[in-house]
Order: sequence, then structure tokens, then C-alpha cells
Amino acid sequence: MVRKSKGRQKIEMVKMKNENNLQVTFSKRRTGLFKKASELCTLCGAEIVVIVFSPGKKVFSFGHPNVDCVIDRFANINPPNPRQHTDMQLSEARRNAIVRDLNNHLTQVTEEFEIEKKRTEDLKQKRKNSNMPENWWEEPIEELNLSQLTEFKCGLEKLRKTVTTEASKNFQAIVPRHNFYGGSSNNSTFGICDDHAGNIDTDLDLYNHQRMVATNTFACNLNNMMVPYHITTPFGNIGNSNIIEGFTPEYNQNPNKLCFKQEHMSECDHHSAHPLRFGHGYY
Amino acid sequence: MTRQKVKMAFIENESSRKATYKKRKSGILKKANELATLCGVPVGVIIDSAYDLSPEVWPSREEMDKVMSQWQRLPVMDRTKKMLNQQSYLQQRISKESETCKKLTKENKELQMKEVMFDCLSGKTSPSRIEKSDLRDCGNVIEQYLKNLNRRIEILSKNDGASSSYVHAAATTSVAMPIVEMGSSSTAFCDMIRQQQIQSSMNQNVRGLDLNQQQW
Repeated sequence: MVRKSKGRQKIEMVKMKNENNLQVTFSKRRTGLFKKASELCTLCGAEIVVIVFSPGKKVFSFGHPNVDCVIDRFANINPPNPRQHTDMQLSEARRNAIVRDLNNHLTQVTEEFEIEKKRTEDLKQKRKNSNMPENWWEEPIEELNLSQLTEFKCGLEKLRKTVTTEASKNFQAIVPRHNFYGGSSNNSTFGICDDHAGNIDTDLDLYNHQRMVATNTFACNLNNMMVPYHITTPFGNIGNSNIIEGFTPEYNQNPNKLCFKQEHMSECDHHSAHPLRFGHGYY
Repeated sequence: MTRQKVKMAFIENESSRKATYKKRKSGILKKANELATLCGVPVGVIIDSAYDLSPEVWPSREEMDKVMSQWQRLPVMDRTKKMLNQQSYLQQRISKESETCKKLTKENKELQMKEVMFDCLSGKTSPSRIEKSDLRDCGNVIEQYLKNLNRRIEILSKNDGASSSYVHAAATTSVAMPIVEMGSSSTAFCDMIRQQQIQSSMNQNVRGLDLNQQQW
């Protein structure tokens, strides 16, 4: 296994040469230093102040209970008087309570983060473990050729429709009147559109009305339907199918158009010379 | 490296606390030193506790005084801009880590949905079996993938030049394709491709047949 980087290396304790690296190092190490300082305060209840000037002459400081308070004491300014002492104690107690809560919160978030990181690992491992993707469409897009891309696109568009239909089923359960996608798809074969509760929505939108009419009209002709967009292949029309589906980039009259599915419904709509609109799933 | 994770809370045990204090204090000073040396910047640290007779000042009183005067010289606003105490520091960390965590959750979801998408295509599962709450995310992932596909197709078609080459490609593949009856989309894609592979290997064995003709 080839290592990508050399890992942690011992570095010389002299000022860094590279300006950019220096800036980055400053940023990272300052953050780390503050973290250590915060931990010391939490764990041991010490008082601390850290003052750091950046390469760009900006100043960063961390202090517990706060920077000014500790600095003042160090410089012996404002020695605390007894009355202030009790006040300070109270506010300190309150402060500690707040900090305690914050620490707990932070611990929680960190744990969640660890869980997510583990999930990423698992997901990536799963991908690696399944032997070389047996399916060409799982390869990166850049490695596919044009015909593969087009086929993939067709398949994916189809899948999208099914997924959307499934999703709309849920949506419908919540909002039964909003019948954009047209009811339970299974029932529409028989011309009935209803939501899952079994209520028949007579307030059909135009598309569904068309579909209902079309279904009923052509119901008896399913097996023998010859339609302009359905290409006769060397294998002939496959009879006995209610849903005649081509999944390939069929060569249709319009070579410039990318493939679109010849769904059952479009066969009924002889006038529709356009690719199927999104959302008119048939499943 | 199997260290025990330390709970971030006040250490109740007195002797533990004292020991920890000593170790961590020296650790902080070491880190402060590294920061100052590597980056060539002024650093000053004061640590005080019940365990010390007098506050620990680093690097030294003199150096600290220099830092202090530099500090005093700054206008109040500059001093306080990046000033932190426990409260503000912890809040900052919490929001940063929440952000990163949220991002990661989103990425993981997308990865997972991508797997679901591939499983649907290969017939291992179908959209009806997808968790209701995931349907929308799955749809989005499919959308995104399609966008990338389309972009790629555009690039390739442009490079290829005329659309005739596309037709040629499309024709070559579709000739080998039977139109198959499908009860559900989930089995379709992989079966289609498999059929095509069988077909094209069959066709390769047939000599004398011009597969590129559109007439049969």
C-alpha cells in the first residue's frame, strides 16, 4: 500500500521559511493552544490568559474567567475588595454552570460528528468491498462513452419518474385534492383515479382525464397497437404486453432528439411529438 | 494509541486534578513555545491556580511585560475583536463542529442515496421499497446525476462534431436491442443491458451481416 503522505514528521524548532505555511501553521497551532487552555480550565479550574500576536500583527487572546480580569491581577491593578469578592463568587458560580452546559453540549456534538465520520467510513468501505462494480453505469461518468451515457440517461429518467410517483403517493395522502400526478397509478389502468383512502376524485385535471379516456378507448386494442413512434424491430412487436417499453435509445424519426421512453400513454396520444413531460409517470 | 477518552468536566478527585494540572500546564507552555518559535510571533501566557504559590508566567516576566505593553498600545476594539473566554470559545467550537457535522450528514445521505439509485438500476431493490423519508433525497440525487450526465453528453456531442456520429452510435446499440416487456422499471435497466451484451456478442459472431443498416 502506497502512503499518500509521510505522516507526522519531526520539525525543526526554528522559524518557518515558507510564508504561506507559516500562516497556516500559526492558525492551526493557535487554535490548538486555545483548546488546551480551555481544557485546562475545565478540568482543573485554573485561571489562565494566553495572548498571541499573529504574523499580521493582529492579536488573539483567551482568558478564564476573562482576559482583562487576569491581566489586571497580574499587573496588580485593582486588588479585589471584600464586597466585590462575594459578588465575584456568585457570578463565578453562574459562569461555571454555563460553561458546564456548554462543555456537555460540545461533547454531544463531537460524539455525533464521530458517528457520522464512522458512517462515511462504512459507506466507502462498502463500495470498495463490493467487487469491481459489475455494472458499467456505476463507473465515473467521465469513463462512459456517448451511447452509454444516453442509455444511462434514459434509465435514470425512468427511475426518476417512478421515484417521483412514489413520493407523490405520500404527498397525496396528506393533500388528497392536489391531484397533479394523478392518483394511485395502479388503479388508473382501469380508468379510476383515487387516493389511498378509496375516495374517487372526480375533479381530475386535464391530463388524467385524457388518460382515463385514452385507457378506456384503447383498452381492447392493447395487443395489436401499431403506433407511429413504436419501431418495428427485427424481433417484431412483442405481443401480449400491456406495457410496451423500450429502454434503448431507439432510432426514431428524430435523430436529433435524445431518446425518450415510449410509454404506453404516449402511444395513445398520437399527436404528442414531444418528449414526455416530467411527472407523467405511468407506474 | 489507545488512550482513555477524558471527560471534559471538572476533575473531582483532588490528586488526579493536581496531577493533571501539572502535566497539562507544562504541555501548554511547550505548545506556546513551539508556536512562538515556529511562527516568530510574540506569545505570553499566565497560568494561576490553587496549586501554585504564584502565577506561572511564560516566557518570563520581562517578555510578558513586553507583550503587555504591546497589548496596551492597541486600541480597545482591536484587543477585544478576537478576545475569547470559556463561554465564547466553547460557543464558537460548538457552532463550528455542528456545521461540519451537518455537512458530513448531508454528504453521507447523498452517498447512501447513490447506492440506493444503483441498487434500483441493478434490480436489487425498487422505488417502492425506498423509505418514505428518503424518496425526496433520492430524487434529488437522481436529478443531480442526470444534470451531470447531460452536461457530459453535451461535451461529448460537441466534441464529436455532427450529430451524425451520435445517430451512428445510437443506431449501433439499438440495433442489438430487443424491446422487452416490463412489469416494473426496477428490473429493466440491468436486464436490458445484459440482453444487449448477449446480443452484441451474438452479433459479433455473425459474419456478413451489416449491422449498421437500418433496414432488415
